Amino acid sequence: MTSEKSSVISCKGLTYTYPGATDPALDGIDLEVVRGEILLITGPTGAGKTTLCSTFNGLVPHFYGGRLQGDVRVLGRDVNKTSAGHLSTVVGMLFQDPSSQLISATVEDEIAFGPENLGISVEEIAQRTNSVLGYIELDDLRKRPPFALSGGQQQAVGLASVLAMKPEILVLDEPTSNLDPIGTVNIFSLLRKISREEERTIIIVEHKLQELVDIADRIVVIEEGKIRLDGPPREILAEDAVLLHEKGLRPPQVSLLAHKLKEAGFPITRIPLTISESVEVFSKPLQGSKQTLAEPLWQEPESGRATEQSIIEVENVSFQYPNGTVAVRDVSLDFYKGDFVGIIGQNGSGKTTLVKLLNGLLKPAKGVVKIFGLDARASPIHELIRHVGYVFQDPDSQLFSRTVYKELSFGLRNLKVPRDQWDMRIRSVAKLLLIDAFLDEAPYSMSRADRQRVAIASVLVMEPQVVVVDEPTTGQDPRKRREIMELMKALHNKHGKTIIFITHDMDLVAEYAKRCVVMKDGHVILDGDPHSVFLQYEELEKTHLKPPMITLMFRELGDRFDLRKDVLTVDEAFQCFKTRLGDRHVL
Amino acid sequence: MSFEYIPGNSLMHRLDPRAKVLFFVFVTALIVVVYDPIIMLILLGVIVLMYRLSSIPLSKLVDITRVLLPVFVMFLVLNYFVYPPRGAKIYFYLLPGIAPVTIETTLVGITSALRFVLFIWLSRLLTFTTSVAEILVAMVKMRSPPEVATSLGIAFSSVPLMINQFSTVIQAQKSRGSQIEVKNPIKKAISFIPVVVPGIYLTILRGMNVARTVEARAFTYNPKKRTFRRRIQFGRKDYVFLTISGLLTAVVILIRMLYGWFDYAFILRDVLKLV
Repeated sequence: MTSEKSSVISCKGLTYTYPGATDPALDGIDLEVVRGEILLITGPTGAGKTTLCSTFNGLVPHFYGGRLQGDVRVLGRDVNKTSAGHLSTVVGMLFQDPSSQLISATVEDEIAFGPENLGISVEEIAQRTNSVLGYIELDDLRKRPPFALSGGQQQAVGLASVLAMKPEILVLDEPTSNLDPIGTVNIFSLLRKISREEERTIIIVEHKLQELVDIADRIVVIEEGKIRLDGPPREILAEDAVLLHEKGLRPPQVSLLAHKLKEAGFPITRIPLTISESVEVFSKPLQGSKQTLAEPLWQEPESGRATEQSIIEVENVSFQYPNGTVAVRDVSLDFYKGDFVGIIGQNGSGKTTLVKLLNGLLKPAKGVVKIFGLDARASPIHELIRHVGYVFQDPDSQLFSRTVYKELSFGLRNLKVPRDQWDMRIRSVAKLLLIDAFLDEAPYSMSRADRQRVAIASVLVMEPQVVVVDEPTTGQDPRKRREIMELMKALHNKHGKTIIFITHDMDLVAEYAKRCVVMKDGHVILDGDPHSVFLQYEELEKTHLKPPMITLMFRELGDRFDLRKDVLTVDEAFQCFKTRLGDRHVL
Repeated sequence: MSFEYIPGNSLMHRLDPRAKVLFFVFVTALIVVVYDPIIMLILLGVIVLMYRLSSIPLSKLVDITRVLLPVFVMFLVLNYFVYPPRGAKIYFYLLPGIAPVTIETTLVGITSALRFVLFIWLSRLLTFTTSVAEILVAMVKMRSPPEVATSLGIAFSSVPLMINQFSTVIQAQKSRGSQIEVKNPIKKAISFIPVVVPGIYLTILRGMNVARTVEARAFTYNPKKRTFRRRIQFGRKDYVFLTISGLLTAVVILIRMLYGWFDYAFILRDVLKLV
């Protein structure tokens, strides 16, 4: 620290309760943010991260209502007494859901909207628009309507429209939730550049902790409206990795592995945070170890194995949208009974289009899709959904009933299931999804995670053999993501369902999928066991994807020490070390 | 979509939106005053020519007209019911005893139908060549508060998003076995509930999100001093265009008033006699 940095945000005893709520969303927050700092705020869903951010630009309390207690000052201004319109001239805020904050007819208009409100000259606005479009590398899309862009591009445009206002403080709520792994890294480096060069204060709410290790100056962990941890990321992510993991967050995989090995008695001298550090740390115990004949075998669960029996056949299928976009190009692949498939790929690579072809929502333009022997083109969709259930990402685009019970009976009525079976089916599915206590409640009054469970239940109740879930994990914290995936695993292992899911989360695919399909520009470019797919580093990089951190570490360790490289999870890595080192090194 | 804008660089595109509004007023005046199918056909020809000059594909015009055909026929037929001609020669009745068919009513019917088509062609020509943003700036220049113009702009640009959301809702409900393509009108109405309820919810949510976003981008900071990037300026081309179209309109209206031309009766009296 060269000189005393001035404080730009100061909260003392900040307590806030939403109108109509009984418990405070923020409870006695004390926080000081200094100029030029990059502050990372993390914590589980519902911890109060977004509420805290909304306090900085005055949306809390001026837009949402409710009571704000304590002293909150932003650049010296009392938030309770300054309007959101005024605070927004110095605090730029990017909200979570990208499409919800796009309001203009073209990308260019979107970016200019903020500066126009500030009354800046037309020439200056044009210059700023050009420079931020350059930052996000979307100059060729400037005349396009924002709604027609992919989720990742929309998020970049949202960020650009905040940057164009040149606010002293940037508050970014999960700015990379819709970006692919490489896009994420690019945005974070851009933010660091802006912060260093222009001395702007940046507050980032994120779950992607390992990408921010060397970007953030400080990390604050919030839980139940209170600050639990506050300190430099190297310290907190390394020392409290296990605690963070228990809180349902996602510390760097290599840090967790180091803790695990240390606990088991292996000589780990320090906790690494990055791949290069971890290679160094883990090399020590491996040095001089001999290659053993016994390599660890990845356990296959007894049940839930894929069979040879193909149930959905996709043959040379192409699909084109009415606007001319060809989303799927000459794809051929079969899905087998007992498959657990993760489909990954960049935004716009055709993942969603492909899975919509699997239950007849879309009909192939060329080629044949056979669903349980039925030709998808010749069969009505209400026949096909008996076999293949499709769960949409956003529960709000389907829930409409007064009670959960009625919501679940919708599909049964549509399929003309005899009434005497309804109650049994509804109750057993509700129990499976842990929503049996809510059967008489209104779906709209439930939390988002529970609403999503209702949406999944409303499809499961029709008892399809195949369950397709499109991005079930977007907008959820790591724990909620795992809960959803654990549910899919149970459906697969215990109830013999075939699961096909789309996700942006490589760690989830690595951990849960038994088969991984990678799409690029409408083609399937890789298809196989995730253990082999994630070894295709170059192929993946071409489509902006990255294997899990642990896999990348083993890419380097493997070469040096002759270890197997297809290690996807912390548990597998631990197994690998144990097999290699045996009890030899245990102190 | 009724507000589709086709970008281009033709005269129509480059005209000041206010000039276009005035042009619209002129032609509307003509439509009201002139009651002559031949003049209507000429005006329609002029509009088609303007479509060509604005490089708007004529297929668009065909699409619009196809939708208008039933209305065209309706204008024609209904006219026989509401226009009782005195002393005109009745050829036959559409229905026994009512709706007599005469030359006069046929001409009036064709004229009103053509007026209608002309009106729609003209309005679409203007929306094809004027972006929403330009309309909004014109509104602000014509003294409407910036809040109104901005809200309208956001509403228009939200339309495609809302259409997307609705089609997602429909797909989600189809995936739960909802059969939206039923014939029975009552069943059809009921089958729309699962689409309309989430649709309304999403629309309200959109409204809240937009309000929040607008606030966070400092719109309420000082709306009166807000910059509007698009500058519109009445130029020479606007004056020339308006003078010519205004003069033509005035001449036609004057002739109509002084000599009683441009009316179906004029055709009956003078043109048919020649034949």
